[in-house]
Amino acid sequence: MTLIGKPSPTDMNLHPLNYKWAYDLYNQAVRNTWFPHEIALKEDLEDFEKMTEDERHAVKFLMAFFNPAELIVNRSIALGIYPYLKSPECHLYLAKQMWEEANHCVSFEYVLETFPFDRESVFNTHLEVPSMIAKEAFINKYLSRMTDDKLDIDTVEGKKDFIRNLVATNIVMEGVWFYSGFMVALSFRQRNQLRNFGSMINWVLRDESLHLKFGINLVHNILEENPELLTEEFAAEIRNIVIEGVDLEVAYNKDLFPNGILGLNADYVNQYVQYVADRRLQELGMPKYYNATNPAKWMSTATDVFELVNFFESQNTSYEVDSHSSGTKKENPAE
Amino acid sequence: MSITVTRHDGKKEPFNADKINRSIERACYGLFDPVSKVTQIATETQLTLYDGITTDEMDQATINAAVQNIKDDIEYDIVAKRLLLKTLYRQVIKDFHPSDEVEVFANKHRISFIDFIETGVANGKLHPEMKAKFNLNELANTLKIERDELFQYAGLDGLINRYLIKDINQKPIEVPQYFFMRIAMGLSYNESNPTEMAKKFYNKMSRLEYVAGGSTNLAAGTINPALSNCYLLEIQDDMRHIAKSVSDVMLLSKGSGGIGASVTKLRASGSPLRKYGGTSTGPTPFAKIIDTAIRAIQRGGKKKGALCFYMENWHIDFPEFLDWKKNNGDDYMRMRTANTAVFLSDEFMKRVASGDEWYMFDPAETADLNELYGEAFSKRYVEYVDMANAGKLRAFKKVPASEQYRQILTELQSSSHPWLVWKDSINLRALNNNTGTIHMSNLCTEICLPQDRDNVAVCNLASLNLAAHIKNKEVNWSRLEESVRLAVRQLDNLIDINVLPIPEAAKSDRENRAVGLGVMGFSDTIEQLGMSYDSPHAWDFADRIFEFVSYMAIDESANLAQERGSYTNFQGSEWSKGKVPIDTLVTLEEGRGRPLTVSKTSKHKGLNWDVLRSKVSKGMRNATLMAVAPNANIGLLAATTPGIDARFAQVFSRNKISGKYLDINHNLVKDLKNMGIWDDVKEQIIENQGDIAGISLIPPHIKEVYKTSFTTSPYAYIEVAARAQKWVDQALSRNMYLETRDIDETMQIYSTAWEKGLKSTYYLHMKPRHTAEQSTTNVNKAAKIGKVGFGALNFSNSPAFSAPLQKSLDVNVPTQAPIVEPVAVVSPMTAKQEAIANITLEEEILVSTSIVKTEPVFSQPVMVKEEVVVQEKVLVSEAPRNEYKPLERVVGEKKYNIIAPEDPADSDNICIACQ
Repeated sequence: MTLIGKPSPTDMNLHPLNYKWAYDLYNQAVRNTWFPHEIALKEDLEDFEKMTEDERHAVKFLMAFFNPAELIVNRSIALGIYPYLKSPECHLYLAKQMWEEANHCVSFEYVLETFPFDRESVFNTHLEVPSMIAKEAFINKYLSRMTDDKLDIDTVEGKKDFIRNLVATNIVMEGVWFYSGFMVALSFRQRNQLRNFGSMINWVLRDESLHLKFGINLVHNILEENPELLTEEFAAEIRNIVIEGVDLEVAYNKDLFPNGILGLNADYVNQYVQYVADRRLQELGMPKYYNATNPAKWMSTATDVFELVNFFESQNTSYEVDSHSSGTKKENPAE
Repeated sequence: MSITVTRHDGKKEPFNADKINRSIERACYGLFDPVSKVTQIATETQLTLYDGITTDEMDQATINAAVQNIKDDIEYDIVAKRLLLKTLYRQVIKDFHPSDEVEVFANKHRISFIDFIETGVANGKLHPEMKAKFNLNELANTLKIERDELFQYAGLDGLINRYLIKDINQKPIEVPQYFFMRIAMGLSYNESNPTEMAKKFYNKMSRLEYVAGGSTNLAAGTINPALSNCYLLEIQDDMRHIAKSVSDVMLLSKGSGGIGASVTKLRASGSPLRKYGGTSTGPTPFAKIIDTAIRAIQRGGKKKGALCFYMENWHIDFPEFLDWKKNNGDDYMRMRTANTAVFLSDEFMKRVASGDEWYMFDPAETADLNELYGEAFSKRYVEYVDMANAGKLRAFKKVPASEQYRQILTELQSSSHPWLVWKDSINLRALNNNTGTIHMSNLCTEICLPQDRDNVAVCNLASLNLAAHIKNKEVNWSRLEESVRLAVRQLDNLIDINVLPIPEAAKSDRENRAVGLGVMGFSDTIEQLGMSYDSPHAWDFADRIFEFVSYMAIDESANLAQERGSYTNFQGSEWSKGKVPIDTLVTLEEGRGRPLTVSKTSKHKGLNWDVLRSKVSKGMRNATLMAVAPNANIGLLAATTPGIDARFAQVFSRNKISGKYLDINHNLVKDLKNMGIWDDVKEQIIENQGDIAGISLIPPHIKEVYKTSFTTSPYAYIEVAARAQKWVDQALSRNMYLETRDIDETMQIYSTAWEKGLKSTYYLHMKPRHTAEQSTTNVNKAAKIGKVGFGALNFSNSPAFSAPLQKSLDVNVPTQAPIVEPVAVVSPMTAKQEAIANITLEEEILVSTSIVKTEPVFSQPVMVKEEVVVQEKVLVSEAPRNEYKPLERVVGEKKYNIIAPEDPADSDNICIACQ
């Protein structure tokens, strides 16, 4: 059994499990299930109305990026990752991840419907703003090689293409770009604005952390199974993909924050992007590139520790759905 | 980058780093190494600036920069707090200038107070009595600005956002000391000497020795003094009353109280309608109306309505009720805002234990069950079971009792609802049971008051801050007594000033004068005393503290009865028969037919309950005295742990209406700093999400004291509550925390709570199994799974890695935060600053608070007619509260103070509970 390759009939047997980590992640993902309507946005709407133009622009711009981005991730999984994976437990996980991306997209849609945005202009932003077009083109560049008929996953070049696309989608898009977006989104809550939107972001972030865990696992296991990929040149190329991703994000951040808002400006976010990118490089087994420090120390409050929720003040975002705990299903009592 | 700052008047001026530095510098006085703090905050502030930033935003940016450093050094909390205070002073105090000398400022603070009251009365915000009844000059001279130093940042921020009175632009018009004085005055109108009593109340609250409940904090002294915190109402089974209940809920919510609402009486779905034929839709759609209604209300204009539905689990629609808080399903059958609690009988708990069936009925056919409790309930229940089996009831369901219990707890695990509340423990132990059955508890499961069609139960709350009564690792019992007595008096005063929006609530409030004095800071206290929550020391200590508070509270209410008369419904109550809470343990055991598994003896031993019993039988001012609320907000305000809760974790975040705050255990930090290991372990503590158990550098006896809520045994939570419940006439909000998801174990834990006589439990917090990737700690997921990936290659010799590969865009790469110009030398503290930083006041302690005096002894309170103020001269240090007299140790080149809490195992002189 290998992770990538052409499918064979035995790939349809879940058991025996060859990649237990994937199955565990699937089970955790199921427990993380949430729905956007659990979040009430009325108070956030009041906040939004009080915001400055620059603040509103930032929120709008984030939405304009995230909404299509979730779907691009799905496309990449469906066309560039799922088909080349043989392991059924990985397929289980990716099926759940794809539902999550869909759920995120619908969640942002829910915010878009609730806030007084010009929806048309939000939807068009990613088609019009050069820095956003560039980000999408970057992802599609790697994806298009996967959908190319000539790709043979059993060759070294085919495997490299798989890793390139995986890194672009999972490490760069989900692991760097999304993370910088989350930091910006959560910064509003840190200033006591958009608290419920912040709760939603907490949920999205919880999901994305799992996606990233899966991606890192996948990269490492594939490298282990295919040592021919471990060359300096290929490593350098992979690093380059991350660096290019950071550069694209830097340009994008200038459009996100043409001016600053309280607590945030483009330089600040760029520094955070570099900090996160260094972490991703290290997780791939490479040295840091930027050596940037984390400017957003407040993120320790936002994401790093357990959150104690006063339930009648805030949505509890740390609950988990758990059908296993009971062991007994609910049944209709006899009349 | 050239940056301009937009001033209040709209003019722009160039950014002046020096100005910011100076303001930070002022906020750092008296702290360790102020220069590095100023540099740190100034640097990080600059990082977030942008061109055109307003001066207000600049203030906020400085505060934020200070706040984000608290995780590394709790002294930044002091800086953040002082910076925040400065912005507040600027808005409220006339002619405030940040560089004012202490005395000049204190004077402005006094003068503005008088202006605050006079203007407030003049423009109709404050009650006319606030001016008419008081000597404002004298009160202004009582104000102690230095007590603002007692706050922590998060509490102060919450206070400003939540409680301070605002003008039409939502700008505060009072500062913290005015706030305390406003409440003190607002509860003293009817005293014979209002000014004197207001001073006493003020001194208690401003020292954070007790804090009034939320509604009181919001409304005391205003023209609309809606001061009550809790309402409990029963919804009757007729359309007119359901409609009225919706209206009542809305009116009560507007006044800022939390609501308990019982729906047990509502007939089942499918139950025939009397007049018009057809069948009922059952409780769910009606509850949904109320759920929607409370969303529309901003309590006191500040937070949305909050309510908890109660249902007894013999209701045939109980399975549907169990689903009300599910996150998915038909939205019309789900309560998005309201909470749920199940009201469980002893009969049910016994059937769970014995493996019997549980029958559910339509209340239209079994209406009396809701009114019965104890043996009478069981007898009647069995009769209905027989009728059901004989085919004499229209509808019933049955299910194994243990199966329903399992379903309740499964739902509790996943949605934290319904809370478990025990009907028989509440009713059998009630001292106020002469006015009917108690059909529910309240929003926070600590209130036990009866209600019916004509009475909506009302409770008025305040909480003692136990931690403020600890000095030199000992409880200051006489000060605690003084606090209890004054708090009870203040609560009793509240009732005659209180405004209630519906007559049924006004009637109940007036006739029962129910109050609930709580205790907060329990964990804070035992940590300071070196006890583990999970130890017999802590349990005995809880026992002892609650006995003492209960005794003094009851005694003070009996005093007030002699001064002011008993409450209307006193005759016939258990009080009138000379009963006190501890006496009702036997009643519960008899009713239940089995002993409680909690120690029933006294751990205090110095209190003569017989004397009190005889005094109580002659008259009580209040139907109830104690209730331990969750204190999620006022606990934060008082910078202590809420209620009887354990520390959630040594570091965690609180998601509040006013913002998200990092909560770090100052006691632990101080201990670790004194041991000289704080800097070595602080990152690990965050990495481990506030659990220190796995950090090897921290010695075992520290780990024992500082467990997290998930590593503390759940049985310890039950034991602490059970010990306290012995003495508390109402109940306690008992939050539960579980790491286990084993449902059988969970059932066992909750059954133990019942066996030990708990009246209620509150939220169940489950430990999350998966959390988002941490941002500020060193995360490497590959290392966690033991993979090196490309790390197998040697990059140091790689030409590909030696130079940057590609730079398509110009990236500004600050590897470090930009360095600000060297900060001006921080001037040494002026003598006056020193005075304020380390203030010591000579204060008197009143041993008796009532105008009708009692002797200052615990055993034999005797009436004294004339006012004799018994004084004890005590030196009270205002700040910091816990002063160690540490030894010093030199490690490397640093000098450390050494004070670790003594190891409980080899020390017997710290546990005052065991002395």
